[in-house]
Amino acid sequence: MTAIRQQHHCITGSTKSHPGVRVHCWDGRTNGTYRRVGLTVLLTLLCALTTVSYAQEKYPSRPITIVAPFPPGGVADLTARPVAAAMEQVLKNPVVVVNKTGAAGAVGMAFVANSKPDGYNLLMALSSISIIPEADKLFERKPAYTMDQLIPIALISADPTIFVVSADRPWKNVKEFVDDAKKRPGQISYSSSGVYGTLHMATEMLSHAGGISLKHVPYSGAGPALTAILGGHVDSLASGPAVLIPQIKAGKLRPLAGWGAKRVEALPDVPTFKELGYDIEFYIWAGLLAPRGTPQPVMKRIRESVRQAVQTPEFKAAMEKLQTPIAYLDAPEFQKFWDKDAKMLADAIKRVGKVEIPVAK
Amino acid sequence: MTETLQNLYVGFSVALTPNVLIYAFVGCVIGTLVGVLPGVGPLAGISLLLPVSFGLNATSAIVLLAGIYYGAMYGGSTTSILMRIPGEAASVMTCIDGYAMTRNGRAGPALAIAAVGSYVAGTISVIALMFLAPPLASFALRFGPPEYFALLLLGLLALAYMSGGSMLKALAMAVLGLLFGMVGIDPMTGFSRFSFGLVELGDGLGVVPVAVGLFGLSEILLTAGQATAPEVTKPRLRELLPSRQEWRASLWPIGRGTALGFVIGIIPGSAHIISSFVSYALERRLSRQPHRFGQGAIEGVAGPESANNSATSGAFVPMLALGVPSGPIPAVMMAAMMVHGISPGPLLISQQPELFWGFIASMYVGNVVLLILNLPLVGIFVNLLRIPYPLLYPGILMFCVLGVYAVNGSVVDVGIMTLMGGLGYLLRKFDFETAPVVLGLVLAPMIEMSFRQSLSMSSGNYSIFMTRPIALVLLMVGIALLLSSILAFVMRKADWRQRLGFAGAKQ
Repeated sequence: MTAIRQQHHCITGSTKSHPGVRVHCWDGRTNGTYRRVGLTVLLTLLCALTTVSYAQEKYPSRPITIVAPFPPGGVADLTARPVAAAMEQVLKNPVVVVNKTGAAGAVGMAFVANSKPDGYNLLMALSSISIIPEADKLFERKPAYTMDQLIPIALISADPTIFVVSADRPWKNVKEFVDDAKKRPGQISYSSSGVYGTLHMATEMLSHAGGISLKHVPYSGAGPALTAILGGHVDSLASGPAVLIPQIKAGKLRPLAGWGAKRVEALPDVPTFKELGYDIEFYIWAGLLAPRGTPQPVMKRIRESVRQAVQTPEFKAAMEKLQTPIAYLDAPEFQKFWDKDAKMLADAIKRVGKVEIPVAK
Repeated sequence: MTETLQNLYVGFSVALTPNVLIYAFVGCVIGTLVGVLPGVGPLAGISLLLPVSFGLNATSAIVLLAGIYYGAMYGGSTTSILMRIPGEAASVMTCIDGYAMTRNGRAGPALAIAAVGSYVAGTISVIALMFLAPPLASFALRFGPPEYFALLLLGLLALAYMSGGSMLKALAMAVLGLLFGMVGIDPMTGFSRFSFGLVELGDGLGVVPVAVGLFGLSEILLTAGQATAPEVTKPRLRELLPSRQEWRASLWPIGRGTALGFVIGIIPGSAHIISSFVSYALERRLSRQPHRFGQGAIEGVAGPESANNSATSGAFVPMLALGVPSGPIPAVMMAAMMVHGISPGPLLISQQPELFWGFIASMYVGNVVLLILNLPLVGIFVNLLRIPYPLLYPGILMFCVLGVYAVNGSVVDVGIMTLMGGLGYLLRKFDFETAPVVLGLVLAPMIEMSFRQSLSMSSGNYSIFMTRPIALVLLMVGIALLLSSILAFVMRKADWRQRLGFAGAKQ
């Protein structure tokens, strides 16, 4: 895999300066004979050298790629595109969004984590980036990437999850819900975007803080999880405001509380868990990361361009349409935010442990 | 009724404005191309073009994307019929009888019926979408995991009708497909299964690389292994259109496929792929001459092709009426709406009447465009068969690799396709059908997920499948079907499968 990755860079790295090299690189990728491997290693080194010379050039001198590790239309993709468009204006250099999907984002995240730290491959990460290495640890498998392979550029958005129940269920507020859940442990159900997913983790934090036990029914994404509660197949759900608000307004779902530090603007009557005395805070965030080892001057340039990009009216308008508030934080603050978030998620995963399959008694 | 017609009038006045019309047309053309390319299905096509739609207004964007979606469903049949390569996963069933028809020199009629069937299904299902969207959508939501599981079991029973050869071999292949479906991260516990440390296998084996490998590559390999090159079939103009008898034979399969596809398409999470499998099985079950299936029965093209197009419209029902995605493609289209500041939700139809009715009207327009586009193309596509095999097959091979790579940009997928090509070659050498493998692979993850979700809901109690009315009815239908075929087997009456399996072995 690593070899393929290097050759990928070799291809992109070589196209400009040595057009002829490209053919051999491609050849090495498909044929595995020793002679060709030797040739490939040699050429990879050559390409690496040319890339080093790039690093000494002014950054950026060729298109920058932002990898969205989820399919088009997902939060990572929808956030990455306006960021890319605004950065393009600031840097006067093409910024391209590429969707590299698979294995709940692990494929795209691992791709950037293992790519050359030259500032040309950036990652639009979501909260789940902190979950995957923890889950790998839990199952004692070789991690796809580790978090210290990546360094923060900027936090772009952070949406608190909102806790909703089906409108035809009796609970009017968190107290009623928690009281009932205490009376009937493991009876009240919730859907999530998938096991160890962000929505699962948010509800797990609530269960822990409230001292209750809920029944988890995982689905394959936030969309199907929403469909499940609308169909009455589960009782409750934690999800992002953008998808929940239309259903709340239509009277299908009842919001009980939010995970934010302050109330969501569009839902002024919905209290936060903090107000209600639960010490939990959780956001579905999107932030830009770079591979560790990216040279300081390049990092500085990228951070500055993102800082300017998030202030452009075009970017603000795009995020407004997505109903996602901008929550810009520069690298140092973002690092603190991320560390805290990652620790919280790691704790939650450890509490959940390996999931047990329910068996009828 | 009058209100609906009035709304539709508003819709057409939106859809027929040159601006919107041109995007409907562009969408249909791109969709057809996307469908024709092996492996690249509607999802890949829409995903690739989603960023382009950001610059348009909301209605044009949705019309463009929808055009790609149903255009791809039209185009997907072309390579299935001509070259036995599924243009997208929903065209797998079309490969069987469509390609057999090509071998019999009836490629033209097969393509024409696929286009006409798609047109009829597209148009009728839009009418259904228009009148029935709100009530149907709330019914569709009642499909929870137990109901979905029961439906998928019905889909699995379709297996019995998939293969012309021996039942035992078909079941063995289905089990192989189900085992392939186990690869990837366990959806309930997060445990990795059979992924051999490859991160890319976390999502399991993709349907597209497996289908293209098992069908397309194996066909190319088999042809290359023949002692004499197959004759290049020179189509005559007169034979481009279906005969009277073929029209008559296709009439009911198109009707049934349309109804079936629409209903299955509505159910959230369900895929248009299943609708084509079920339609094929249904046609074979109802046919008076089931032995003709697999040998070039036009019903085997008409039914599934209508079903997968009708399912396209069905899939829009939950999206437009409730704002919930019924699958990955509507999810991308909802994202396109959100980019334009429109929140898809239960209030969409009343808050955005121009978008909704313009969209409905554009689907009528789009279907007409596609029919006009596709019927003349039949003549051109059929002429592709004139290309000598030494030139045609390497070209196809290249497009297969390109198409499969393009879907996820993954070299691992190309590797899977190649391995599956080899496997398909071996299997077919030993007279195993490969369609049940694909069905198994499609169904396994969905069956597993819904089964285990159901048990999570009931805390492990199996009675959940019996206490929910829809699930119970579906299970009863399944059991009745199973009993009837076992009965036939025991009575040794309609035992065409074994006879054919025997005949096949002698050849």
